[in-house]
Amino acid sequence: MPKILMKGAEAIGEAAIRAGCLSYFGYPITPQSEVGEYMSRRLPEVGGVFVQAESEVAASQMIYGASGAGVRVMTTTSSPGFSLMAEAMSYIAASELPAVVVNIVRGGPGLGGILPSQGDYFQAVKGGGHGDYRCLVLAPATVQEFVECVMKAFPLAEKYLNPVLLIGDGMIAQMMEPVDFDAVKTEPQRDVEAWATTGCKDRPRNVVECLWLDPKLCEDFNFELIEKYKKMAAEDCYFEEYELDDQPEMVVVAYGTTSRIVRTAIEELRKDGYKLGMLRPITLFPFPFDRLRALSETAHVKAFSVIEMSQGQMIEDVRWAIRDKFPVGFFCRMGGIVPSPEEVIDFLKQEFVTRGLKGAKS
Amino acid sequence: MADPTLQDYKNDVPNAWCPGCGNFGILQVLQKALVTLGLPPERVLLCSGIGQAPKIVHYLNCNAFDGLHGREVASAQAAKIVADDLTVIIHSGDGGAYGEGGNHFLHAMRRNVDVTHVVHDNHIYGLTKGQASPTTDQGQKVAVHPDGVAALPMNPLALAISQSCPFVAQSLSSQADHLLDVLCQAIRHPGFSYVNVLQPCVSWDPVHTYAYYQKHCYRLDTSHDPTDQAAALAVALAHDGRIPLGVLYRNDRPALRPVSEPGVGDLRECPDRPARLARVFDRYR
Ligand SMILES: Cc1ncc(C[n+]2csc(CCOP(=O)(O)OP(=O)(O)O)c2C)c(N)n1
Ligand SMILES: [Mg+2]
Repeated sequence: MPKILMKGAEAIGEAAIRAGCLSYFGYPITPQSEVGEYMSRRLPEVGGVFVQAESEVAASQMIYGASGAGVRVMTTTSSPGFSLMAEAMSYIAASELPAVVVNIVRGGPGLGGILPSQGDYFQAVKGGGHGDYRCLVLAPATVQEFVECVMKAFPLAEKYLNPVLLIGDGMIAQMMEPVDFDAVKTEPQRDVEAWATTGCKDRPRNVVECLWLDPKLCEDFNFELIEKYKKMAAEDCYFEEYELDDQPEMVVVAYGTTSRIVRTAIEELRKDGYKLGMLRPITLFPFPFDRLRALSETAHVKAFSVIEMSQGQMIEDVRWAIRDKFPVGFFCRMGGIVPSPEEVIDFLKQEFVTRGLKGAKS
Repeated sequence: MADPTLQDYKNDVPNAWCPGCGNFGILQVLQKALVTLGLPPERVLLCSGIGQAPKIVHYLNCNAFDGLHGREVASAQAAKIVADDLTVIIHSGDGGAYGEGGNHFLHAMRRNVDVTHVVHDNHIYGLTKGQASPTTDQGQKVAVHPDGVAALPMNPLALAISQSCPFVAQSLSSQADHLLDVLCQAIRHPGFSYVNVLQPCVSWDPVHTYAYYQKHCYRLDTSHDPTDQAAALAVALAHDGRIPLGVLYRNDRPALRPVSEPGVGDLRECPDRPARLARVFDRYR
């Protein structure tokens, strides 16, 4: 199929349908209400179900129930709504069910604004709800990559029996870009009988639950979760390296929308002779700790910088990855303001000076 | 102290409603009601969440609490419980009040804290551009329901009456005299009072227009006894295509008073508060 021009929010909906997700439960909130609008139009055409719930609390409990019943299911929301889903996320993770959730992050805290932000990083990668659990978190940077990540999210959620969370922002959700839905092959659902409440004819019944009154059993389950997250790190940690193969002095770490600005900044700076590149995490959990650490141990890398649209959240993971071997430079814009390439360029130039790197002189 | 005037409630916050929006009528009448009741702005707390309706709290020059979508009902009760001298009025959209905040609405009726809950019922999610709300008609075609809404609309009046909500009324944003009378009664009512204000949405709801309401609304007259719960329920449940305006139901259930040590009254003004707090802290040393 040729590429078609599509708005991010609608592409997310279409990608889910192409991935075999025929049930969507949601509640409107800017800047992603168009996903719901698209699904309400499109799902009936393909024999799917669309429900507008009475709240995000309800929508997220609906995906919990539908997932338990053994179908591919998705909800989408934006920051304030995702906070209301935190409860269900914890229960879905604890009940070991697959579900796909998209958070189009907006400026916060509180009601905040509706423009792009990355302020929900901690909430996304550290669990977000109560208890020791993690979501597998994908942070695509383009509409095309969003499509691919949504389509991969379903089999990933089923592989780990764990919620997969995608985060983006209004820039990606509201922007139109060319997309190709054939870039990812659809994988069918497998082994649903192993966990879903699909009846117990000729097999033991499945019970969806997450209560362990015996602390030993509860602890055992937590140990199992640790193993699950280790497996994610070993098998499904994704990132992109940009201009990192010619011995750069500086590694910039950025994800999502911010990484697009950083890419432009690096392009410009390299024209002036600055030696730097970017590591762009695509999975925020698992985080590319090992790769970053390896970079920090090379002879040529002398500095790291992190650019975020939040107060300094991902930088904690970067500092941990490199064991604080170098001070990590940090630049951010927040609350709905996307950094301009110029201010990122100025910041990075200054970092070259501060860290005593050769920079343009080399 | 001089009686409050409309001028006292004026401010210059730029208004962001669409021209012709039913919210303008409610704003005007609310100001008039507060002045009519002799309430100075410093004693009035308007609570809201988010939506077109909740913006109203910014357009009056008095205390305002603009919290979370649908949850303002819970926050407002607590504000009243700790600051009894405030007149607390909640302004919600139908989406916030009956959808996201439906649970809080139910429990506010039971708890009976002396606040007034005004729901601007435009049968639509206005702010988020026209999705169905809990009061959108069955079959009505809107943004996310291109084939028409499948679910039955909520009947919030019947619900409130069935739960013995202390004061249940309905009015129309374009009938200023009626709305003024109903709002004043509601605010005066010593307990939880609830007013559903029907309001056309000129941008997203082509069905419930000014003309529609003009045609279908009727005013309850003296033959209706608002203390008769069964009669009130019958009015709310009558599926005759007519829309009642007026006080449908009221009772005298005593309002919840803050439970505190005798004589404390307003928690903020308790005279020996530092000493009492010190005693509390001492217990944890
Ligand atoms: C937790 C949360 N969910 C969703 C939203 C998005 N949102 C803002 S207002 C609104 C509904 C508005 O409808 P209504 O309450 O009827 O008020 P109206 O705009 O019609 O006056 C929604 C869904 C939000 N701000 N917060
Ligand atoms: Mg509304």
